[in-house]
Amino acid sequence: MQRITSLVDVKSQEFRLNELHNRRLAAELKERQRAVRFNRPERDHERLRRQNKLFVRERVEALLDPETPFLELSTLAANRAYDGEVPSAAQVVGIGIVAGREVIVHADDASVKGGAWYPLSVKKIVRSLEIAIENRLPVVHLCDCGGGFLPLQAEFFADRHHAGRIFHNQSILSKMGVPQVAVVMGHCIAGGAYVPALSEYNIIVQGSGAIFLGGPSVVKVATGQHVSVEELGGADMHTSVSGTADYLANSEMHAIAIARDIVARFNRTEKAPIDRVTPEPPAYHASELYGIIPKDPRAHFEMREIIARLVDGSRFHEYQPRYGRSLVCGFARLHGYQIGVLANNGVLFGDSALKGAHFIQLCDMNRTPLLFLQNITGFMVGRDYEQGGITKNGAKLIMAVSGASVPKFTVVCNHSHGAGAFAMAGRAFDPRFLFTWPQAQISAIGTDQATRVLTDIKAKQLAVDGRHLSEEELEAIRESISEEYWERSSAYYATSEIWDDGILDPADTRNALAMAVSASLNAPIETPRYGVFRM
Amino acid sequence: MRKLPFDTVLIANRGEIAIRIIKTLRELELRSAIVYHDLDAGTPAVSMADVAIPISGRTPVAAYLDSAQIIAAAHEVNAGAIHPGYGFLSENAEFARKVLEAGIVFIGPTPENIELMGDKIRARKFVQRNGFPVAPSAIEEDDPATFISRARSIGAPLLVKPSAGGGGKGMRIVRDLDALEHAIVQARSEAQRYFGDARLYVERYVEKPRHIEVQVLGDSFGNVIHLFERECSVQRRFQKVIEEAPSPALSPQLRKKICETAVDIARAANYRNAGTVEFIFDGSGFYFLEMNTRLQVEHPVTEMITGIDLVAEQVYVTGSHELRLSQSDIVLAGHAIEARVYAEAPARGFAPTTGKVLVLDYPGSPGVRIDSGILQGQQITTAFDSMLAKVIVHSPTRTEAALKAERAMQELVLLGCETNTSFLARVLADEQFLSGQVHTGYLDENPHLAAGEFASDLTAFLAAAALLTRPVRDSADAVPELHASLGSWRN
Amino acid sequence: MNHFLELEGVDYQLWLSRCKQGYRLHLGDEVTAPIDFCHQGDGCGILTVAGAKEPVRFAIDGDTIHLHIRGRTSVLRYRDPLSTLALAEKHAGHLVARAPMPGVVVATSVLPGEVIAAGTALMVVESMKLETVIRSSQNGVVERVHFKEGESFEQDAVLVTLSAEGH
Repeated sequence: MQRITSLVDVKSQEFRLNELHNRRLAAELKERQRAVRFNRPERDHERLRRQNKLFVRERVEALLDPETPFLELSTLAANRAYDGEVPSAAQVVGIGIVAGREVIVHADDASVKGGAWYPLSVKKIVRSLEIAIENRLPVVHLCDCGGGFLPLQAEFFADRHHAGRIFHNQSILSKMGVPQVAVVMGHCIAGGAYVPALSEYNIIVQGSGAIFLGGPSVVKVATGQHVSVEELGGADMHTSVSGTADYLANSEMHAIAIARDIVARFNRTEKAPIDRVTPEPPAYHASELYGIIPKDPRAHFEMREIIARLVDGSRFHEYQPRYGRSLVCGFARLHGYQIGVLANNGVLFGDSALKGAHFIQLCDMNRTPLLFLQNITGFMVGRDYEQGGITKNGAKLIMAVSGASVPKFTVVCNHSHGAGAFAMAGRAFDPRFLFTWPQAQISAIGTDQATRVLTDIKAKQLAVDGRHLSEEELEAIRESISEEYWERSSAYYATSEIWDDGILDPADTRNALAMAVSASLNAPIETPRYGVFRM
Repeated sequence: MRKLPFDTVLIANRGEIAIRIIKTLRELELRSAIVYHDLDAGTPAVSMADVAIPISGRTPVAAYLDSAQIIAAAHEVNAGAIHPGYGFLSENAEFARKVLEAGIVFIGPTPENIELMGDKIRARKFVQRNGFPVAPSAIEEDDPATFISRARSIGAPLLVKPSAGGGGKGMRIVRDLDALEHAIVQARSEAQRYFGDARLYVERYVEKPRHIEVQVLGDSFGNVIHLFERECSVQRRFQKVIEEAPSPALSPQLRKKICETAVDIARAANYRNAGTVEFIFDGSGFYFLEMNTRLQVEHPVTEMITGIDLVAEQVYVTGSHELRLSQSDIVLAGHAIEARVYAEAPARGFAPTTGKVLVLDYPGSPGVRIDSGILQGQQITTAFDSMLAKVIVHSPTRTEAALKAERAMQELVLLGCETNTSFLARVLADEQFLSGQVHTGYLDENPHLAAGEFASDLTAFLAAAALLTRPVRDSADAVPELHASLGSWRN
Repeated sequence: MNHFLELEGVDYQLWLSRCKQGYRLHLGDEVTAPIDFCHQGDGCGILTVAGAKEPVRFAIDGDTIHLHIRGRTSVLRYRDPLSTLALAEKHAGHLVARAPMPGVVVATSVLPGEVIAAGTALMVVESMKLETVIRSSQNGVVERVHFKEGESFEQDAVLVTLSAEGH
């Protein structure tokens, strides 16, 4: 495989300015992540101490094998919701190594609102179980949940992907033979009670752990019966009388040790056999990405320069280098795994869509996972393009993306707009993982375009009412529309809504993708099969 | 050697000293018999003896203290003599007398010797009466009612000791007179239990004293010779750890004087067989401490520098023979050091340790003698004394001997039961020891020797242990290659 | 969760990770690499620490690892996290008198059922030629005396179990 020769001048003014800008964005990301992970009012820490509980981060670290990586997902979920008062949606989710096994870790954060589930908490848990199902990853639940946050029940109870989906997904995982371990470290009330109950194994911590459908106060209201927490759902009762819990632990650390011992009993799945060689670091340092991603999101940048800083040895076998040039396609290695890369180098044209559709089928036949690097403003529009069949060619690409049975991974590097975002394995197309870079914008159309269209509509509506707007008034409207649109297109908004699996510091992308690829291979890759391509 | 009046010798002992004695008996073409408690079944001493007779007791130690069983065993195997070794019944005059009354030869001093010199109080009085130097003291039995006040009037620091016994058992230093009565109560209880004799005495404790002892040998014809001195100042809790011969503290003049004093004391006591006269040496003068009427644990260092087999000489003079050696036959050559290997944890206050000897490999360099009573696979219990083996080296000079002993300690591999070998190696390499400036408080004043510093070795030990512990290694091996290469990466 | 190895009364939290030439030893923030152990049969092996090789004698007895390295012998104990963590809690709640070192019981001073105060002598034990009085650290009722006179015990053995004071 040929090595990509970088044409970037790392000493140029432009590089330095970009670098400064992107390093600041990365630092801001890390700071926000740090804050949601660790910033809690002292009274919450004190309450945990009083209850003899560890902070959720300590629990997770104790669970994981030391000196192994943890790919945390959706760290900034809910960062734009609930006035920012539910950091990480009160859930810690990630892929880590427990007793040498790749597992999904899902932990309730009792330091936030007593571990109550908010709508986005539910969404995050459902997504974590979806990841477990898609990638056949065992799950360790560290349960400490005070039940759903009732005032917002309409947003998390009834719908298809609401709370019920957690238990549905748990059952499906079990049916697939993918085991779960739940550690009951606090009260598991109402729906939360089913998390340990639906797990293959569960451990309950004496003193602080309890499982019941209705707590003592609910029981009193419902039946007039006076019962203690211990009688109703304590560790002793559940491990000796009801059989709802399997193992009694003396302390949280003891419980975690038992959980680790259980995971160590799990069979290791035979991974999907894809081609792999000894890994090699990229020839160009990942930190140079900071100087390459333009400060101005509208500025074009060369995707091969990005690829050179992600893949092994910066080696890239480019497919059809002379055709459909706005979509760069080719083979590379990521930590030794062979992958197929599709990267936007401009707007999608008919030829680039055809090339992409063909390349996807090549990779699928060859059992080669696909990496989509998005910087897409959409498919080209205009008479000539429509006459050239841009829509039916775009449909071919969408058909190929949807039909491919090899694992897909998407990184939104910059723009993610229009049908192009769908065709480049957007969220709806079930890539196994979708990550976003800090400056990315995700929306139906770009902010500038949208602002123009929306300002126009507004002006027309007002004109119907007989109002004429001055240039200043127009500008004010334009600005407010633009601001709101920009905000709602931002990576932070997307990640808050869990449209992705987290924002990545570009320099972390290679490792995150490697862990994602490795995790994906726990599930067998099905035989290639497609729908009808419009020819 | 002239004919002996017996052809079988029963050893009323166990462990390394029993083996030591068996070796000489073999040389002398005598049959060896041994008594053993069930706990010692299968130990090398029992398998090496020509015949072994089981004995029992309320405790294992009690079995070896049961004179009736032992004498019966001697009769059973037609043993004409009994060698008591050291410890147990070796300094029990009553036992010696019973043995003689049973028509069996006692390889050791006469019961009268033991009664006179084996009793510390009587021995001191006797030695003092004969004009030899002793330390100021108060003896309980002189007048029990005034014992404590007489003890007080000597002034601190004091040493409380049982009248009977030795080996540091029941001894206590009192630096504050207020603690005297408490110390006496405790010492009495221990004395009663160990020696069946609660009598105590108190003497002035000399600070920084050196323990120097002279090996003597006498016959029943009034001949007494010495085999030079040994220094045993490296002690912990009054128990000797490293002994050497000759003493680095003595000038030739002092050596001559102290050895001759010992011979004079033994002669005055009409002493027969092997014995040791112990002195306290304060750097310039010495005074009589006590006499051990038996073969000493540390006798091998004397054997190394004189080339004389002390057990053989014991057997020889016991057969009513005149000493076959004269003083001029005894020539001091080179320097010998003995290190005692104990089952103990120096870092935990020398607490005894137990375990099964899983690996045992003694150093085999020339000039290194091993007196060991243990075998690979043997269980080490607290039922008996915690000494497992003695390593004795002989070299032309003290410096060379210390280096050889240090190496031997490092080469000795005994796994399965924690021992003091590393500690001994540290002492043998310690500057103060090498300069010869030791005294009985030396180890107490240098606690770092016992604690041991792991420093750079810690990593090696932890690394080896981690790699040899399946769960630790399995944890590492279980991590997929990719994740192992990423280390503790976080996004 | 790290592994625990005890050496001379100190618990060391450590972890091994693999590297190209063998393993890395993680001890707190300190990393030593590469390390490796090559068995040579019969309790012998070659230890590599940071590239330097040295001979090792070893014996493994359950969770106890006896090592002889650089002329020193040491005993290390693997502390299984399950039992260690289970015990840590259990003992916190119980009243037991433990043996500070191996030894033999000289005399027992209490009988089951006896109500005792903190400081009461429970047992006289003998070890290292010295008698030690084992005293109760708390008030309580003697539940069980685990050893009789003349019996020997190991270090850390439970000598006497107490229950909280009755009403």
